[in-house]
Amino acid sequence: MSQSPIFARDLVRVFGSGDSAVRAVDGVDLDVSAGEIFGFLGPNGAGKSTTVRMLTTLLRPTSGTARVAGFDVVTDADAVRRSIGVALQDAAIDPLMTGRELLRLQATLYSIPRTDGERRSGELLERVGLSAAADRRVGTYSGGMRRRLDLALALIGEPSVLFLDEPTTGLDPMSRISLWEEIRRLNADGTTVLLTTQYLEEADQLADRVAIIDHGQIVREGQPDDLKAEVGAPTLFIDVETTLVDTATGVLGTFGELRPTAEGTLGVGLRDGVGAVSAVVRALDEAGVAVSHLEVRAPSLDDVFAEATGYRLEGADTDGATR
Amino acid sequence: MSTLAQTRAMSQRSVLALVRQPALVIPSAVFPLFFAALGTSSFSRAVNIPGFPEVDSFLDFALAGAVVQGILFGSITSATALATDIETGFFDRLLAAPTQRTAILIGRLAGAMAYGFAQTLFFVAVLVPFGLRITTGAVGLMLMAIGGLLTALAVAALMSTMALRTGSSEAVQGSFPLLFVLLFFSSAFFPRETMSGAYRRIADWNPVSHLVEGFRSLTIGEVNATSIAQVVVLPAALAVVTITGALAALAARTRRG
Repeated sequence: MSQSPIFARDLVRVFGSGDSAVRAVDGVDLDVSAGEIFGFLGPNGAGKSTTVRMLTTLLRPTSGTARVAGFDVVTDADAVRRSIGVALQDAAIDPLMTGRELLRLQATLYSIPRTDGERRSGELLERVGLSAAADRRVGTYSGGMRRRLDLALALIGEPSVLFLDEPTTGLDPMSRISLWEEIRRLNADGTTVLLTTQYLEEADQLADRVAIIDHGQIVREGQPDDLKAEVGAPTLFIDVETTLVDTATGVLGTFGELRPTAEGTLGVGLRDGVGAVSAVVRALDEAGVAVSHLEVRAPSLDDVFAEATGYRLEGADTDGATR
Repeated sequence: MSTLAQTRAMSQRSVLALVRQPALVIPSAVFPLFFAALGTSSFSRAVNIPGFPEVDSFLDFALAGAVVQGILFGSITSATALATDIETGFFDRLLAAPTQRTAILIGRLAGAMAYGFAQTLFFVAVLVPFGLRITTGAVGLMLMAIGGLLTALAVAALMSTMALRTGSSEAVQGSFPLLFVLLFFSSAFFPRETMSGAYRRIADWNPVSHLVEGFRSLTIGEVNATSIAQVVVLPAALAVVTITGALAALAARTRRG
């Protein structure tokens, strides 16, 4: 039996039945090591949240097995709940209660004795920088403050495994960075973290390993640097007039494999590296293609994502990715 | 021990929600008083109609209807809050923690009970300066408050069943007209003795009639087996049925799809 804090084999979740059945999660395997930050990357609707809901006992898998903190998520759900901390993207915080009241309630739910609960609530409020707002109703908190309170709530039971479902979605850059720092600190203290995100930079910054999920299946998994190295060639992006797209595509194809891009831009993985840029420009010039914008990027997680799924996550809005 | 502590904490949360949202509470506290005042000023001579019980004023008669009306409507509030928890995802937050499932429901019902108890005493306290007289004194008043608490429990459990089955606060609030019909086809505003035909038959069968008449006996009559059965035993029995339904709905909701 696996001792990994998060372990799943052939996890499947089907919604609906018959012709309208949707396989939201379709055979996911996970093996997250102790003390790791594991990034679960994918666009909305890819199956990230459904996987997390199964791992946190909120949803029963249709088939497959999963163990969290050593306990089966179906047969030993209570033990799983006692061992984990969960901050769910779509689980609101009661706006009528104060931050301190919510932490005390959460402490009671984890059967923490009253005096310990009060002490721990105070410590956590301090830790996430909410001491001054502790006795204000949550309804008056900003988005960033709610996320920090959400994190504090997830930590009340001193979990060994922490699930953070899109913890920084909708946050301003400063709040995002401060939350990243807190997640790193927690991880340094030994907490295993599974983090879902649709932000590539977030996965790149935080995660020791990432899994890319698309249409309910994990399509790539590994350390960000290894995954980027697998993509190999840097990508050259160019913007050209719409009428010249076909000509430009023909030219670019001779320098390497075309890569998916955002609309209005063409991309090619430069087989011969950055040194080929001047040759590409000359070739385009000879073909009569005027380039309005040119950019070379080293392989990124977005390239990994694009190579694995056929479309890009970067630049996509919250409703999906750019094909 | 932890179940008890959790239930207490969840109950405190429900009561806190009532205290912090006066806009939700005020209608169920004010409208019954408005109806009682309107009835007293408009129907003061109705007390002379044959079949009307012997009372000093219409107000003594109207109290029971006001209390039951207030509790019926007030009990929707806690069930609506439960449905709102489901809608906003707070319910999931509770389920992802090692929360005893029953504590979630009982916490909400406890809030409703506290409100039902307080409402009964509030109506009496407001109407006494206007001439209300409770013939059964402190014992009767306490029985009425307990009856208010049990009625709130029975109705809140029924509404919570709807909240848990549908997960929709709109569906819960949509049941408001149903409660109104139950109330109007009862002896809440006039004695059954003054009714006839189908209306009378419905009122005879309507448990709300018997509940109201229990409260009325304690206001203008005496404490006896019948009044205790109507005010305490009847809502307690209804509560057993509705709580059973609510627990089944809770189990279905938390079965995790």
